[in-house]
Amino acid sequence: MSVVQQHKIVDSRGTSCPGPITDLFKAYRKAEIGDIIELLATDPAAKPDVQAWVRKSGNELLDIIDEKDHIRLIVKITKKGR
Amino acid sequence: MKRLLVVGSGSGGTLTANLLAKNLKGKIRRGAATVDLIGESAQHAFQPGYLDVAFKGYSPAGLMRPEVGLVVKGVTFRNEAADRIDLDERSVTLAGGKTLGYDYLVMATGAFADAGSLPGLKEASFNFHTGPQDSVRTWEALQKFKGGKIVVAIAGVPHKCPPSPNEAAFMIDEFYRKRGLRDKVEISFVTPYPRVYPAQTLSDAIAPIFEERGIGLVPLFNAESVDPVAHKMYSLEGDSVDYDLLIAVPPHRGTDVIRNSAIGDEDGWIPSDKGTMRVKGHDDAFAIGDATDIPVSKSGVVAHLQSPVVTENILLGLDGSSESVQYNGRINCPMEVGRHRAVFVSATYTTPAAKQSPSMVKYFMKRSFSKMYWRTMKGNMEWLMGLYFGKTSSAHIEATETEKRMLSQVPAS
Repeated sequence: MSVVQQHKIVDSRGTSCPGPITDLFKAYRKAEIGDIIELLATDPAAKPDVQAWVRKSGNELLDIIDEKDHIRLIVKITKKGR
Repeated sequence: MKRLLVVGSGSGGTLTANLLAKNLKGKIRRGAATVDLIGESAQHAFQPGYLDVAFKGYSPAGLMRPEVGLVVKGVTFRNEAADRIDLDERSVTLAGGKTLGYDYLVMATGAFADAGSLPGLKEASFNFHTGPQDSVRTWEALQKFKGGKIVVAIAGVPHKCPPSPNEAAFMIDEFYRKRGLRDKVEISFVTPYPRVYPAQTLSDAIAPIFEERGIGLVPLFNAESVDPVAHKMYSLEGDSVDYDLLIAVPPHRGTDVIRNSAIGDEDGWIPSDKGTMRVKGHDDAFAIGDATDIPVSKSGVVAHLQSPVVTENILLGLDGSSESVQYNGRINCPMEVGRHRAVFVSATYTTPAAKQSPSMVKYFMKRSFSKMYWRTMKGNMEWLMGLYFGKTSSAHIEATETEKRMLSQVPAS
């Protein structure tokens, strides 16, 4: 049986710290293993914050894409809970 | 006749109802307008004071006043819970079954700190976010605790009053120092954020104080559950912390009336325009304060600064204008760091929080604002708020003659 993975886009553009990382945590709380969370942010702090969190949590940062007026941080949920 | 309905009688709801009534005095007198304020509690609480109850032993009685004494002439206070809001039918149904129609609605329904939403948290923890009695219980627990590990945790985001967990850690440190027991107590601060305060500039200001006072930091910890028997808190990231006394900010969500009315998002926050404070998709409904989904702090000051914006937008609507004024995202959250010093977390949508150092002046300013709170609720101090906060929106509420006279006595800066 295959599990359907979700690709959730979390749009935090226009919010400043801690908006993007807060939105990512809210999505993480509801996510399942294998889900993709794509975080859109304009706040420059989003990049180092997300990098620090994936390092600590063991989740995977698949890509960081610099768009013209925002960044896209693509996270794969590989670890959640004990 | 125009019917204006305000649901929720906390800071934002009370002030908005009062500002509307003051600005529509003539229309109300002539029977051309009504302002109804719906509030479940007969008592109005000064919520920032819960910290003083929990960590300084203040009496909760000093934080409470009868709501009926805070509303100005022209406001009808209905002391009853709102059960359901229908934005399409333009009506609010009260718990007793009565339904009120409206021409303009303001939802100031606040946030609900839900300790029961995280497994084990309610049984295991003390807090100062779920009311004065729980703050008293926290104070009693501190009195009894003579040694071991205290964990101050943020168990969910967003939550009311962002600096309050940091303040709690500083106050606990001070509490045990004053009693000569600090070396018997280990204090840890557990947060989902990567640093001690989410905004880097403020974190830079208080991280050295955490270090100097010996308060440990556990960052990037999104609480998942608590085992009250093993005295362990677990995170979604797979970590755990041990505690002997757990003081935790519970996860917050929108209130039941918003959730039951299917107005909010999945957490019950009302989708709102961050400038006009209109509920998205509805020209005649507004939301303010903790209840909204806008990306600013959930605090009384924010609700206060949004109140004149909403008032002005309703007044413009009543005048048939299609113009709107905009809230600029101003926040101003004081944070006590102990030893009679404080910092202010101040920012707007476009201006991040500035670097600063803790000072006694800011501490006494915080304490002064607390004393002024009851007077601000009646809408009599908008001139002073304007002097302190400057232009926080494009709104302009006409000052009364008394306010103009007082303002004219303020020396030019």
